[in-house]
Amino acid sequence: MSEKKQTCKDNIKKLKDILVAEDILVFSFETADGAACAAVYTDGMTDKALLGEQVARPLAAERAPENAKQAAKCLQVPECKEENDFTKMAEEVLAGNVALFIDGIGGALILGLKKISLRAIMEPPSSIAIKGPREGFIEDIKTNMSLLRNRLQTPKLRFYNLVAGKQSRTKIAVGYLDGIADEKTVQKIVKKIEEIDIDGIPDSSYVGKFLAERPQSLFKPTGTTEKPDVLAAKMLEGRVAILVDGSPIALTLPYLLTEDFQGAQDYFSSPYRASVSRFLRFFGVFLSVFLPAFYVSAQLFKLQLLPFSFLLTISGSIQGIPLSPGLELFFLLLVLEILIEASVRMPKYVALALSVIGALVLGDTAVKAGLVSSSAIIIMALSGIAAYTVPDLVGTVSVLRIAYVVVAGSIGTFGVLLLTALILYYLVTSDAYGSPMLAPFAPLIARDLKDTLYKASLFALDKRPKVFRGKNKTRLKRTGKKVENGQD
Amino acid sequence: MDKIKVRQICFFLAALMPAAKMLVYPTTLVYRSKNDLLFSALINFALEGGIVALTMLLAKKTKMTFFELISNTFGNVTAKIVYALFALFFFGAALLPLMEQKNFVMQVMYENVPSIIAFAPFFFVCFFACVRGFKSIGRIADIALPLFILSFAVLMLLAVPHAELGALLPVRGVPLKEVLKGSLYSVNWYTDGALVFFFLGHFEYEDRAAVKVLSSYAAGCAAVLLFLALFYGVFADIAVRQQNAIAQMSKYTTSFTSLGRVDLFFIFMLALVMIFRLCIPVQVCVHCVCRSLGVKPLIPAAIVSAALFGLTLFLNYSFLELQTLFTQKLWFVFLIFAYLIPAAALLLKRGERRA
Repeated sequence: MSEKKQTCKDNIKKLKDILVAEDILVFSFETADGAACAAVYTDGMTDKALLGEQVARPLAAERAPENAKQAAKCLQVPECKEENDFTKMAEEVLAGNVALFIDGIGGALILGLKKISLRAIMEPPSSIAIKGPREGFIEDIKTNMSLLRNRLQTPKLRFYNLVAGKQSRTKIAVGYLDGIADEKTVQKIVKKIEEIDIDGIPDSSYVGKFLAERPQSLFKPTGTTEKPDVLAAKMLEGRVAILVDGSPIALTLPYLLTEDFQGAQDYFSSPYRASVSRFLRFFGVFLSVFLPAFYVSAQLFKLQLLPFSFLLTISGSIQGIPLSPGLELFFLLLVLEILIEASVRMPKYVALALSVIGALVLGDTAVKAGLVSSSAIIIMALSGIAAYTVPDLVGTVSVLRIAYVVVAGSIGTFGVLLLTALILYYLVTSDAYGSPMLAPFAPLIARDLKDTLYKASLFALDKRPKVFRGKNKTRLKRTGKKVENGQD
Repeated sequence: MDKIKVRQICFFLAALMPAAKMLVYPTTLVYRSKNDLLFSALINFALEGGIVALTMLLAKKTKMTFFELISNTFGNVTAKIVYALFALFFFGAALLPLMEQKNFVMQVMYENVPSIIAFAPFFFVCFFACVRGFKSIGRIADIALPLFILSFAVLMLLAVPHAELGALLPVRGVPLKEVLKGSLYSVNWYTDGALVFFFLGHFEYEDRAAVKVLSSYAAGCAAVLLFLALFYGVFADIAVRQQNAIAQMSKYTTSFTSLGRVDLFFIFMLALVMIFRLCIPVQVCVHCVCRSLGVKPLIPAAIVSAALFGLTLFLNYSFLELQTLFTQKLWFVFLIFAYLIPAAALLLKRGERRA
C-alpha cells in the first residue's frame, strides 16, 4: 500500500465518484488521536453492528495506525485485505463488504462484513424425500458451498470462483472433485463461463443456457438439483457442479438423460424397491408421451389395436363428438397445460378452487355436453399424471406428447414411429462435454446399466460410471477384493 | 463423427441385417425355391458372410478405409470415381427396400391415408440421419438390438403355434437350378456385407473382433432362417402370396379378442428397427458422395433424400415392375458391387496410411 499521506476525504471522494448511488453510505469516526476514518458500505448489505463493534470501537480507542498492517492488527475482523484499486474497492462495496479509509493511509482495507437476509435451509418443494436428508440449497452461494463442503470434507473438493454478468456481477462457483471429475470437462466449463457476456444472471438456468452445447435443444442442457446430498453423490460419480449466487438450483455436467430417472430415495431403499420405482418412472414417461398418440392413431387408423370390448366402450363414448380424435386430444392436452400454468401462478387458495373448477366442473360438463369423450379425458389425465413420475422431464414430455398427438392425428402410427426415429437419431448423436446424452444405452456401456434401468445393490456399484472418464474409477472397495487400477 | 465400434457392427449384423429381409424377400424366395427356401438363403448368407469375413481380415491388416486403399493403389481420382459409382449403387440398393416399406406402411398401418403422404416424412428422418454420419449408425444399432430381440421373439412365439414345419419337407424337393435361381434373384437383399465393408477404417480392430463380428452375423442369419422356416410353416403353399409376411404371421393368436392386436405393438417396434435399417444404405451413399466430391454431408444428404423421395413418388404404383427389374435384371450389378469389388480389395496395396 502506498505510504504517501492521503486524506480520508480524498479517498471517499474518489470512491463516491464511482459509487454515486444513494444507498452507498459513509460512516465517519475518529481515532483516539483525532485522525479521520471512514467506512464506505452498502445500506442493507452490511452488518452495521459488527462494523461498530469490531471496527469503529477498537480504532476509536487507539492512536491512528501508521500503515495498513497496523490497522488490520487493531481490527477484529477475520476477513481483511488491502486494496488500492478504486474500481475493485467499488466492486467489494457493492458485494456488501466495507471499504475502510484512515487518514494518512493510501488505499483501503476491505472488511468482510457482508450480511444479507437469507431464508432458512429447508427441504426443497421440488424434491421431497420420504427417506433421506431433507436440507436444500438456498440463494446464497457461500451457504451452498458450505453445505456441499459439509458433505464432502476432502481437500479434493475444489472450486473455481468466477464472476459473470456485466451489471449483476454474479458469483459462480465451479466445484469438482480433483482426480474424480474429468479435468478437460472442468476446464471447458470454466472457459465457457468466463466467456459469458451478458448484463445479468438472475438464475442458474441462465448459466445453463450458456453451457449448453445445443442451446436450441428440446432436452435439458444440464442436470439440476436443489439438494446437497444429491449434488455430492453426482460429484462422486465424476460430474462437475456449478453453483450460482442467487439461485437455489445447482447445475451438474455432463448431463445424461437417464439421471433424471434416478431419485435420491432409490439409494436409501432396497435395490428391489428402487428397481421397481425406476421401471415405473420409465413406464410413466413412456405412457405420458405415447398413450395419447396411440389412442388417436388407434381410433383413426388401427382399430384392431384395441380389444373388442374396449372398442365398443370407446365407440359408445365417442358417438356424437364433433371433433376428430386428434383435435379432441390436442385441445384436451392444451387445456391441461393451461390448467397447470394457471395453478402454478395463482395464489394457493385460488389454485385450489381452480383445480376443482378445471378438473371436475369443466371436465364433467364437457363430457355431458358432448364436446369431448370420457375416454379422451381419462387418457389426458393419465398422461398428465404419468409425466410427473419424472418431474425434471415434465417440460420436455409436455411438448413431445403434443407433437406426437399432432403427428398421430395426421399420419397415424407410422408418423409416431418416424418421430420416434428422429428423436432417437437426435439423442444418440447428442454428446455434451464428451459424454453421450443417451449413455449408457447408446453407446452401450454395460457396466453403467447397473444404475439406470434398474438399481443394483450398493456393493455392485463399486465403479464410477465409465461415461465420465475420470481417472479414479473405484468408489467402493470391498474387504479382501483387489482394486483393479490400484487407485483409491 | 464417422467412427463406429466393433460392438456396434455386431449389433448391426444381429439386429438390423435381419430386419430388412422380412417383408417381400420371403415371398420372392418362395416363388423359386418353394419349400427349399432355406437352402437358397443359406447360399446367400455364405456369400455375404465371406464379404464380412474379408472385411474383418482387411481390418486386421490395415487401418485404411476402402477409399484410402484405392487411393493408395490407383490414385485419388480413381478412388473418387469408385466411390461415386458406389454412391449410385447404394442409392439404387436403397430404392427397393424403401418401396417395400412404403407398401408395408400402406398394408399394415393404414386403411385410409395414401401411403406416400404417410411415408414422405421418412425422407426427412433419413436426411437427418445422413447428416449425423456413421456414429449415428453405430449408436442406433445399440438401440435397435434390444428392440429387435424383443419384437422378433414375441412375434415368432406368437407364430409358432400356427406353424407346420413339416411343410418344409421334402428337403431338396426343388431342383437345384431353381434353388440357385432363388439365391441369384434375391441377391439384392444381401447388401449388408457391402455396408460393413464401407465401415473399414472407421473402426478400431480389437482382440477377437473377427470372431465377434462373424458370430453376430451367424446370429442374424439364424434369426432370418428361423423366420423363413416359420413363415413357410405358417403359410406353406400360399406363402408366395404373403407379402409383408412379418405382419401376417402372428395375427392368428386367439388371445387377441380380450387383449386387442397386441402383436401390432411388436410389429410397430420391428417397423422402427426397419426404419433405422432403411436409412443405412442412404447414409453410406451420402458418405460415398462426400468422399467423392470432398464436401460436407449437409447438401448431399438433402439432394439424395430428395431424389429418393422423387423416385418414390414417380414409382408410386410400380413396385412390381421395380421388383422384377431388381431381382431378375439387375442381379449382376449387385454381384459386382456387393461381392466382386469388395473381394478385389484384397489385392489393393495396404501400405502406409496417407495423411
